[in-house]
Amino acid sequence: MKLLALEGVSFNYGSQLPTVLQEVNLAIGTGQCHCVSGPTGSGKSSLLNLLAGVLNRPHEGDIWRYPQLVTGLVMQDPQTQLLRQTVGAEVAFALENLGIPAEKMLPKVQLALRRVGLYLRLDTQVSTLSLGQKYRLMIAAQLVCEPHLLLLDEPWAQLDDHGVSELLVVLRNLIQDGMALVLVEHNAAAFAEIIQHYWQLEVGKLSEGIYTVNDAPQVEAPAWRNQPKFEHLGKVLVSAEAFDFGFDACPMLFACPQGFQLQAGEIVTLVGDNGSGKTSLLKTIAGVLSSRQRLPLKVLGRRPKLGIYGAELGLLMQRPSRQLFETSVLAEMQFSLRRFELPKERAAQMLDELDLFSLAQLSPHKLSYGQQHLIALASLACLRPKVLLLDDPLAGMDKHYYGKVWYLLKRLSSQGCAILLSSHRSIEHSAVSRQLSLRNGLLVEELIETGERYVG
Amino acid sequence: MWASCRRLRALRHWSYERRETALCALSLLLVCVLSACAFVLPAALLLPLAGLNGLLVIHGLLRRGSIWGVLKLGLVQLSITLSLYLILYGVEHLAQGAVVVARIILATIPGWWLCITAAPERIGEVLSAFLPTKWAFVVAASLSLLPYMADEIREIYQIQCLRGARITPKALRNPKNWSELVYCVLFPVLIQLLKLSRQMAVAAQSRHFGLAQRPTHWHSSRDKND
Repeated sequence: MKLLALEGVSFNYGSQLPTVLQEVNLAIGTGQCHCVSGPTGSGKSSLLNLLAGVLNRPHEGDIWRYPQLVTGLVMQDPQTQLLRQTVGAEVAFALENLGIPAEKMLPKVQLALRRVGLYLRLDTQVSTLSLGQKYRLMIAAQLVCEPHLLLLDEPWAQLDDHGVSELLVVLRNLIQDGMALVLVEHNAAAFAEIIQHYWQLEVGKLSEGIYTVNDAPQVEAPAWRNQPKFEHLGKVLVSAEAFDFGFDACPMLFACPQGFQLQAGEIVTLVGDNGSGKTSLLKTIAGVLSSRQRLPLKVLGRRPKLGIYGAELGLLMQRPSRQLFETSVLAEMQFSLRRFELPKERAAQMLDELDLFSLAQLSPHKLSYGQQHLIALASLACLRPKVLLLDDPLAGMDKHYYGKVWYLLKRLSSQGCAILLSSHRSIEHSAVSRQLSLRNGLLVEELIETGERYVG
Repeated sequence: MWASCRRLRALRHWSYERRETALCALSLLLVCVLSACAFVLPAALLLPLAGLNGLLVIHGLLRRGSIWGVLKLGLVQLSITLSLYLILYGVEHLAQGAVVVARIILATIPGWWLCITAAPERIGEVLSAFLPTKWAFVVAASLSLLPYMADEIREIYQIQCLRGARITPKALRNPKNWSELVYCVLFPVLIQLLKLSRQMAVAAQSRHFGLAQRPTHWHSSRDKND
């Protein structure tokens, strides 16, 4: 049965702005699973909002909906969709809006939570859940209304491998129950077993097939590749002896029985599931997170403390778009250079090198997610830090910007920068020297496989 | 027999829900009265009011609330206000400055206590009795958002410190750097708030917000576990 159809739909966010969707045709029926892929900023999320009926802007073309169609939309970041503080209240929110009597809510809420495999007390605080659990909670918050069509925005980027496999089980069951599913996903391969229809969205056009990058950037730069490489290797910039890590008055989060080191010029990955403590460890190394417990940790020969390293240490937190405040990309990149009294010209050179100079005078807030991410990273790279800590810098990146990030990291590494980057799945890339693994409450060094795998 | 048992259980259940809502309404009223008193009572009566607030603090701490945020706010407020009083009016008026700060703290503590003891959705339910549903939702959602926004502000501040912004506690001793705090932290926070409010509006809309004329309200008791 046909649930929803778009016929020649075009749409933009303003008459002066480029068209987001152009003459889009799409039909969705019960029990079908569609996957839409495309570069960041191509309008995939706008398409989902349009399908969900929450896009309050005029559009051209026809949208036909099954008369009693109920849609459920789960956006990218579960954190920004949480409206209540407890699990039960969060799931019941939609029922409240439908005017369902309070005494009839309980079984519906319990059923929705069971369908996504969340067996939690209803008064569990949402803030205590892992990211994967929050994502499933958001799905439950939609399933409680028994939608005919479920729309998911980039679940793979948000979840670790365990979370993805759990989600796959849930989605397979929903499709078997006749629910239609539309996924927006960079990594369609992760959901290949349930996807029936592949679509690619590029320059506003929706066509059948899987999106592939045609203009992969140059990832090797001859100028610095020819430098005598690894002459700085062996110099220890970060060192930690054996320690137990935990927050004040909380149980231990993980133990590091052998300690670890970061040496100049190496790229080390820190891999662990959602909520395993990667971000906390990076923040501790940067001196951002302080606790009563004093860790046997030395960064650039000193105990970590916020602001003592100046330009020698850089930390890129998740969602780096939060740090943007200047009126142009160039000014944004020059901010730290000015503060640390370094040559301002480095910013323009960096933009040129990354083939992003056309963005120099644009407002950083108007850039796509991938562009904002890269600009924030490039701002740090301009400083030529000795230690660079990156919190999940590849999450949500399409392959185009993924290549540019690696270009930057390899460049910094060749300059002697020690890079520690966290991810919720293993990064198989030739530039990675070592992997620190954070699993089952233990931080240990693990052997890594060679070869390259996209983990954006 | 079975039917009467069920009626009895339902009655007990409903009385629990009504009790919960009534308690929240009373708490809200108490908070409004205590906060208003902090501003309108003469200075001589502030001590008994501080005693009442002390009880709220003890209750809040027993409910695992953290008073550090309020204390930090008080200290910052105290240092700024006393500095201004010292510059503008001299040493003899410092006590007046301290009273002003005390009034602000006494007005803040009841709000802090309410956030710890009452669920935002319950406050929303109470408010929806005399406010339009959308306004009640906005208040409840804003209260839910407070811990998240506090974390966001802290993280943005830390990011900008690492980027070299002159906003460390030491740098902020110089009033010349105060504008940098506005520029580097408050602007990004405001932008984040705007983005977040838009995303939350979409999230609420996708869950049928505004569909029913009179939305119902979820009540969770401790025994409702899955």
